[in-house]
Amino acid sequence: MKVTTSLALLVCLLAGECLAAGPTPQKPNPGEELFQAAQVSGHYGGQLTIGGRAEPKTFNPVIAADAVSREMIGRLMADLIEINRGSQQTEPALTKSWKTSADGRVFTLQLRKGIRFSDGHPFDADDVLFSFAVYMDENVDSPQRDLLIIDGKPLTVTKIDRYTVRFTLPRAYAAAERLFDGLAMLPRHLLEKPYRQGKFVQSWSLNASTNEVAGLGPFRLKRYVPGERVVLERNPYYWKVDSHNDRLPYLDELTFLFVGTEDAQVMRFEAGATNMISRLSAENYGLLNRERNRTGAQLSDLGPSLEYNFVVFNQNDLSSKKLDAIARKQKWFRDLKFRQAISAAIDRDAIVRLVYGTRGTALWGNVGPGNKLWVNTAIPHPQPSPATARQLLKSAGFSWSPSGQLRDSSGAPVEFSIITSSSNTQRMKMATLLQDDLSHLGMQVHIVPLEFRALVDRVFQSFDYDAAIMGLGGGDADPNPEMNVWTTKGTSHLWHLNEAQPETAWEGEIDRLMQQQMVTIDYTKRKQLYDRVQQLISENLPFIFLATPNVLAAADSRVGNFHPAILDPYTLWNADELYIRRPTENAGVR
Amino acid sequence: MRYLGRTLVRAILLLAGISILCFLFTEMAPGSFFDELRLNPQVSPETIANLRSRYGLDQPLVVRYGRWVKSAARADFGYSIAYNAPVAPLLWGRAKNTLLLTATGMLLTWLISLPLGVWLAARRGHMLDQAFSIASSFVVSIPEVVIAVALLAIVVRWRLLPLSAGPLHGEGISLRTHVQDLATRMLLPVTILVFVESAIIVRHVRASVLEVLGTPFVQAAHSFGICRARVLFRHVLPAAASPAISLFGFSLAGLVSGSLLIEVICGWPGLGPLILEATLSRDLYLVIGGIMLSALFMVGGNLIADLMLLAADPRIRTGALDAH
Amino acid sequence: MRTKTAILIAALAALHLALLCAAFIAPYDPVAQNRELPYAPPTRLHLHDAAGWHLRPFVYRWTLGDEGYLEDKSESFPVHLLTTGSSYEFLGIFDTTRHLFGVAPPASIALFGTDGFGRDEFSRVLYGGQISVAAGIAATLIALLAGALFGVIAGYYGNWTDQSLMAGTELFLSLPWLYFLLGVRAFLPLHVSPVRTFFLLTCVIGLIGWARPARLVRGIVLSSRTRNYVLAARSFGASDLHVIREHILPEILGVLMTQATVLVPRYIAAEVTLSFFGLGVNEPVASWGNMLSTLQQYSVLVSYAWLLAPVGALIITSVIYALLADVVQSRLEFPQPGN
Repeated sequence: MKVTTSLALLVCLLAGECLAAGPTPQKPNPGEELFQAAQVSGHYGGQLTIGGRAEPKTFNPVIAADAVSREMIGRLMADLIEINRGSQQTEPALTKSWKTSADGRVFTLQLRKGIRFSDGHPFDADDVLFSFAVYMDENVDSPQRDLLIIDGKPLTVTKIDRYTVRFTLPRAYAAAERLFDGLAMLPRHLLEKPYRQGKFVQSWSLNASTNEVAGLGPFRLKRYVPGERVVLERNPYYWKVDSHNDRLPYLDELTFLFVGTEDAQVMRFEAGATNMISRLSAENYGLLNRERNRTGAQLSDLGPSLEYNFVVFNQNDLSSKKLDAIARKQKWFRDLKFRQAISAAIDRDAIVRLVYGTRGTALWGNVGPGNKLWVNTAIPHPQPSPATARQLLKSAGFSWSPSGQLRDSSGAPVEFSIITSSSNTQRMKMATLLQDDLSHLGMQVHIVPLEFRALVDRVFQSFDYDAAIMGLGGGDADPNPEMNVWTTKGTSHLWHLNEAQPETAWEGEIDRLMQQQMVTIDYTKRKQLYDRVQQLISENLPFIFLATPNVLAAADSRVGNFHPAILDPYTLWNADELYIRRPTENAGVR
Repeated sequence: MRYLGRTLVRAILLLAGISILCFLFTEMAPGSFFDELRLNPQVSPETIANLRSRYGLDQPLVVRYGRWVKSAARADFGYSIAYNAPVAPLLWGRAKNTLLLTATGMLLTWLISLPLGVWLAARRGHMLDQAFSIASSFVVSIPEVVIAVALLAIVVRWRLLPLSAGPLHGEGISLRTHVQDLATRMLLPVTILVFVESAIIVRHVRASVLEVLGTPFVQAAHSFGICRARVLFRHVLPAAASPAISLFGFSLAGLVSGSLLIEVICGWPGLGPLILEATLSRDLYLVIGGIMLSALFMVGGNLIADLMLLAADPRIRTGALDAH
Repeated sequence: MRTKTAILIAALAALHLALLCAAFIAPYDPVAQNRELPYAPPTRLHLHDAAGWHLRPFVYRWTLGDEGYLEDKSESFPVHLLTTGSSYEFLGIFDTTRHLFGVAPPASIALFGTDGFGRDEFSRVLYGGQISVAAGIAATLIALLAGALFGVIAGYYGNWTDQSLMAGTELFLSLPWLYFLLGVRAFLPLHVSPVRTFFLLTCVIGLIGWARPARLVRGIVLSSRTRNYVLAARSFGASDLHVIREHILPEILGVLMTQATVLVPRYIAAEVTLSFFGLGVNEPVASWGNMLSTLQQYSVLVSYAWLLAPVGALIITSVIYALLADVVQSRLEFPQPGN
């Protein structure tokens, strides 16, 4: 009797321990080849909550298209090679090391031995082959499939042995190892069956039970409460250790709370319901900054982001009769001097001050100072000059009526509208400032806020607009993701979509340069090519660049190893290194 | 009985009509679900086109409507593109949370508004009456969004309520803590709901009671010596009931749709955030499912209101139904 | 009672007069940006300085320091009445540059502070009121007229008319209006002039809003058409129109007035939603609706409380209307002679 009761007590105690903390991390065993994060230290325990704008829609990494789902899934999964957001360089992840062939087409990857998924099942090359087969399957239609198709041909994956995989690209591709970031490795033992049955797309929906979902990421799924939160718990088999050889992650639990708007996020952060905020607007940052002495919050202004906001004029080929009015205005939009005049008249400093509360940077090209590796510092940054603008307009055949209204060479008054997304307050404000600036030139500009998808429809489909203020970029620092924006046949070539042949010399030159840099492996040569591309862009102004916001993030005083970065996911990229400080450690408030 | 039968048939026809019109309306809006992918320079238009056709978005309207009706018969009510799951279970899970909020709000609102409206009408001209008039003008003029954000801001700044709370459904939590936790979380959204709704309902109740108070039969009742309270509640209220009943019907009708904004702002896991996001992201079948659900409540609510009207006003029932 | 009515009517008249003469009372052009003074707090009026008390109030310039705005006490600028300022067209009749009050540049007098672009809130509230109050009243009139019409027909004739009209309201209230609005926006030309936007606004709001009043009215008409005096009138051979006009209409006026006091401010605020779809009054024109949309941001609400001015104006307007409606209702409640 006594033995059983004391055993029962012991069991209860242990169970209580387990309930209180997350799953205990497995001690590293000699058979595993683990990644050591040399500079990292912290201690176990604690729960971190971060607010999200919306609910994630799925746990399936292959079909997830929205940012919220991807952010959460990224904590459950791991990739072969990852881009370290802090250094912006690639580093080995599930791969221990890799070798590139001389022509840059063949990658041979050595996987880490002895690693297991979050449910304990071992990981090997068969999982890698399976994962890539799924990503490239035409019937699955993954949004990431196109990354793996270069020049219309898919890359091929072959298994060399249990822990070696070889990738062959159809042709050399610069910075190809960056492709692997974001391609999560799937557990073959759980997903192969639904895949063969054609049910892959339905697997790992939000209804999935916790033992159906397994990954190689720092956390695993614990609980999903519909409409409210997703709770992740520590993955006891995670393949990274810290400087003391203790297995990461430190946190017991990571919770994603669906909070809604950014305002609601800020309110919850202030109330202590969440510990971190990923991207803040300048106003909210200012608000939290004013209180930081009282709250001890850690606020981070990381400098300019990789996005660029711009004005694009409609230079598409318009065939429909309905768009005749726009077609007539296109003779202004296509005139380089007209665009140069507008660029000269815009007060970018006012945008930075009034829209971003000084926490932003003016832009004259598509690559801003935040992208230290690729920015072309030789591009001129002229100050606004209405005099220059007027000079340019006069030389282009424009004139002013006695009342100050600008007229073109045929006497028609210069009047056009700028569309922008009504849900993006920053771009709406930029539009208002622009309208005022251009009114001093005698142009009558109307601002038309549109709902987001209505805007996208006009810009990509119907071409029923004069000018639009939009934003792009931010995915990666590397030029390759920008191919589709700057090449003539690119799908984001917004100012002139569906262009069959480059109609101007500079567009043709950009095509050649971008193609060349895509296959050039050497960084210095690539930089030269891309510098020239940036120069052409800033000279010919297909987009008139405005400004970029700084990346602003916040965490409360208890979060340790808080190192936000300017690449997405700004604060959670090192989720495995974050820890909760013990109350005694809060003495030195930064 | 025949009346009920007729009304049921009418209700079903109405719901069918609403579903058809919904499909037509959703055609009107430009843009589709996968437009967000267009802004990602790394996704090709072929992939987007494939995705569209996989979910049947490029099929003609009639075909899609037929498929939806079949799906409705299977109790799925369509397929959500965003969640990759059938619509009905998604909706039902959230609807329960919304109903909890709105039913509580409605109960409290009517418990407060009816007596308050009657009381204010009886004390017409009194200082409290004037004060209420002004206060309700305040509440009615400020857009609901601003009220909700302002109240939330007050709660946060002065730390009146803990905004964080344990999960709404957890394991191993005692019933008592669960109820307590629920009550704390519901306090703010229910307060906003009651605030905003009562202002309007009290006004209407007060106005119609005032009208009736001036009529001869009330004066007669007073002169008969019947005490004031009895006069108010037994004689005046039923006569003044009509607009109140219609409003009650509106409250019932709005049980699933009325708290949308508040749920979004207060972070209540109900239908509101789900439908709002679905509408903006053009997740068609989820939106239509949500609309059908609220249409159901609307038809039901109006039906109940009509029955109550019949019950409250005998003059409608007895023979005066044929106008000529 | 009579003094109260007199006060209310005077207040209403003053309000509308102020809105009508917005261009005269407002010291600045509502679209004039002052990029050096974003989010400046309301200018403080002083009567006393180191030199003692003055009869004429004066102001100091705001300067932006590290901790926020500070008054630059080195120079004082007296407030003058009937000053010259930016030119405008008075009531559409003649051009003038006289404004009610102002200060000499480079100082500025922003009684309600400035917004994010340094535009004077006070001027914007006045100009904005013109559009918003007019739109709100017009939309309410449309909604109530349509609602009353359908409600009376449905309630009076009963049976099939009633059933189909009520089915119509249910249809109307359930439909996804967001999509309809998106469709309207897609259908319209990209730029719609401010006047046309105004008309569009009112029509859209009014059209969508008739269903509720219709139901309320119908409920009342259902019960009142069975009243004795109505039956009596009909048995005397009175036409339907006569019965409706003489006996039914007075019954529904009460409900209509109450609805009006609720709807006017609600429709003014509805412009916030419409702006989201691009159907509102566009920048840079001021309207209470588009000024309210900036208030949806928490940081703005908390840090720049003076931007709540349009909310205050809206409240004052609707309070006056509500109290007035009350007075009118009390006049109506006494039984009409002949009932």
